Amino acid sequence: MRVACLRVADLALVAELRAHPELAGQPLAIAAGAGPRAELVAVSPEAQRVGLRPGTTVVHGRAACADLAVRVASPALERAAREALVDAALSASPRAVPASPGTGAWKSEACVFLDASGVDTLFHSESGFAGALCERARRLGLPAAAAVAGSREVAQLAVRSLGEPGAVRVIPPGAEAAFLAPLPLDLLDPDDRLAQALLRFGVRRLGQLAALPRRALAARLGSEAVRLATLAQGEGSPLALPVPVTTRIEEALDLEHAIDRLEPLGFVLRGVLSRLATRLAVRGLACGDLELCLDLDGGGRDARRVGVAAPTDDARVLLRLVGLALESHPPGAAVEALAVACEGRPVRRDQLDLFRPAGPAPAVLGRTLAELESLCGEGRVGAPAPLDDHRPDAFEVRPFAAGARAPGGVRSPRRHALAVRVLRPPAPAHVQLDAAGRPTRVESAAARGDVVAAAGPWRTSGGWWSRERRFALDHYDVQTEDGNVVRLRHDALARRWSIDAVYD
Amino acid sequence: MPPVPRTTAAVRAEALLRELPQLRRGHVPREAPGRWPSGLASLDRLLGGGFPRGRLSEITGPASSGRTSLALALLAATTDAGEYAAVVDAIDAFDPASAAAARVDLERTLWVRARDCREGLLAAHVILKGGGFGLVLLDLSFSSASSGAGSHAACASWLRLARAATASQTAVVVVSDARVAGGQADVVLELRAGRPQFSGRPPLLEGLESQATAVRNRSGPIGGSTALRFQLPP
Repeated sequence: MRVACLRVADLALVAELRAHPELAGQPLAIAAGAGPRAELVAVSPEAQRVGLRPGTTVVHGRAACADLAVRVASPALERAAREALVDAALSASPRAVPASPGTGAWKSEACVFLDASGVDTLFHSESGFAGALCERARRLGLPAAAAVAGSREVAQLAVRSLGEPGAVRVIPPGAEAAFLAPLPLDLLDPDDRLAQALLRFGVRRLGQLAALPRRALAARLGSEAVRLATLAQGEGSPLALPVPVTTRIEEALDLEHAIDRLEPLGFVLRGVLSRLATRLAVRGLACGDLELCLDLDGGGRDARRVGVAAPTDDARVLLRLVGLALESHPPGAAVEALAVACEGRPVRRDQLDLFRPAGPAPAVLGRTLAELESLCGEGRVGAPAPLDDHRPDAFEVRPFAAGARAPGGVRSPRRHALAVRVLRPPAPAHVQLDAAGRPTRVESAAARGDVVAAAGPWRTSGGWWSRERRFALDHYDVQTEDGNVVRLRHDALARRWSIDAVYD
Repeated sequence: MPPVPRTTAAVRAEALLRELPQLRRGHVPREAPGRWPSGLASLDRLLGGGFPRGRLSEITGPASSGRTSLALALLAATTDAGEYAAVVDAIDAFDPASAAAARVDLERTLWVRARDCREGLLAAHVILKGGGFGLVLLDLSFSSASSGAGSHAACASWLRLARAATASQTAVVVVSDARVAGGQADVVLELRAGRPQFSGRPPLLEGLESQATAVRNRSGPIGGSTALRFQLPP
């Protein structure tokens, strides 16, 4: 089995630059908390050039560099960046798993292990595969390095030994021990006590550690030293890599200042949705329904679901949909943090018909439907469907989707049906009856005058088992003096006359 | 020697040769819009092939004149041809059961239940902007917008709608009590109050007869009229 390790060296810094690319090239520092006494946990190369190091306080950092941009470390951003790294891995391999968080000197790194078996056919070589991984991570705003080896541990040691982002290394099978031998002991991240003990023995390289007799090592330095010696020899765990079961993708952002207007919130959302769309695109997925969660000033939370009619990875479409949702129901207070999540769906490519019209493009249709719903109200846009129900005017509005089956086959000749216009609600009517109980005159907003011709009654009843749903109606097709042909209705339960439709 | 019958290609080639000198001078002949046949043969003959694509048309007439039945026939013909159609219903009067009886493919029909005329116009514009629909039916009958000519909706809205129809090559058909789109309509079809047909003993409503007149038709014959007959589905 071959395993690749994709690694981002300084996750806090990279996550911040991924969310705020305008800060690239400037002296930037990530602080552990707010306030001047907070410690810097990460500094950009530009800040390092003026002498800043992690551990310095914010106030000292600002004194050393007047242009220093300081941002408070954001767990939400770091989580999204770590997940994006997994997405980069999953775009090239079906099996990937994030490494457990580093400790000590490697606390700030983020690594992902992925299956690199049999990649030669797709990427020509393992180094080509590692290069493709770095490129995909770069596309997601993550400068990363990659290495391929026979086990997770050796791959991780190899990628740690690489300096620059974008660098790749391949350890051929059987060459692990020879490769690891000259590497410094720090790569294994021994705890301070063990590191000092090994230093006292003159052990500075992995090769020196691997050469020590295990029993003596265990007796003098404990089991941890034996574990490190095993790793230094190039032996790794044989655990298989799992196939991820979820395609959920989430992006989040903590805002420095609460936003209470929709327009600036839209600018922030543009960046978040753009990152989400890029992750979807890298994985070859499209966005299903969006979950938008806004943390509000004062401790409230506004969680909503934004429907996406046709899965899309177009950030502009998603932004428009979210914008419409927010315009129709604005958040109740200023927004302090936001998170957007979606379930990745397979991208649906339409198979166009040579002899049929193409119809609306799914992505554009989604935006159109969202705009229409925003304009006319929820549940008022869709495909009409009559219900199998005896109650008059029984229908439902189903979700409209392009790609409905094309009409086909031999169809009987069309007869031009007389249609009705439904009055919702029915127009109340005052009706005069003859001795036989048939209408002779109608007074209503929809029709007025003596009855010229009438047909009926047509009796329908149902829902007798329920007080709310029961109905008993008599319908008459009536032509009145004013020329209208209407459907007159007598509700036998309510003893009311009304006109519920006009023949037109 | 008997005359050789001319093929379609030969006729086209002759027409092209006639137009060639003008094309060289930079003149581009205005292309006649494609037509959506309504499925009613006499009406399609009257309009010169049907309702024009990429243009605004109006069907006007009082209640029970057959406007809705004609609109549903057009809708059925459109969806039968594999196109998607939209019904923008400004007064919430669309009856899915009637549409199904008229053999409209409801899965290919987008129903927008607007709450008033202004919303209806905006919704129609949104649909045209998105594109992909062969027909947009804008129903303004019985609405306050239909009570007068041109005064209810700003002329700019109709102009915008007509331009959007041209850009998307969608046929936009407005159904109303009276003319509302003014000069923006390419076709105006006026329906006179229908004559219902009751027959039998006891009497049954069987259908409705109506008279349609093309009072405006920019790219086809004008002034003719024809009888339309719609039958109540069994």
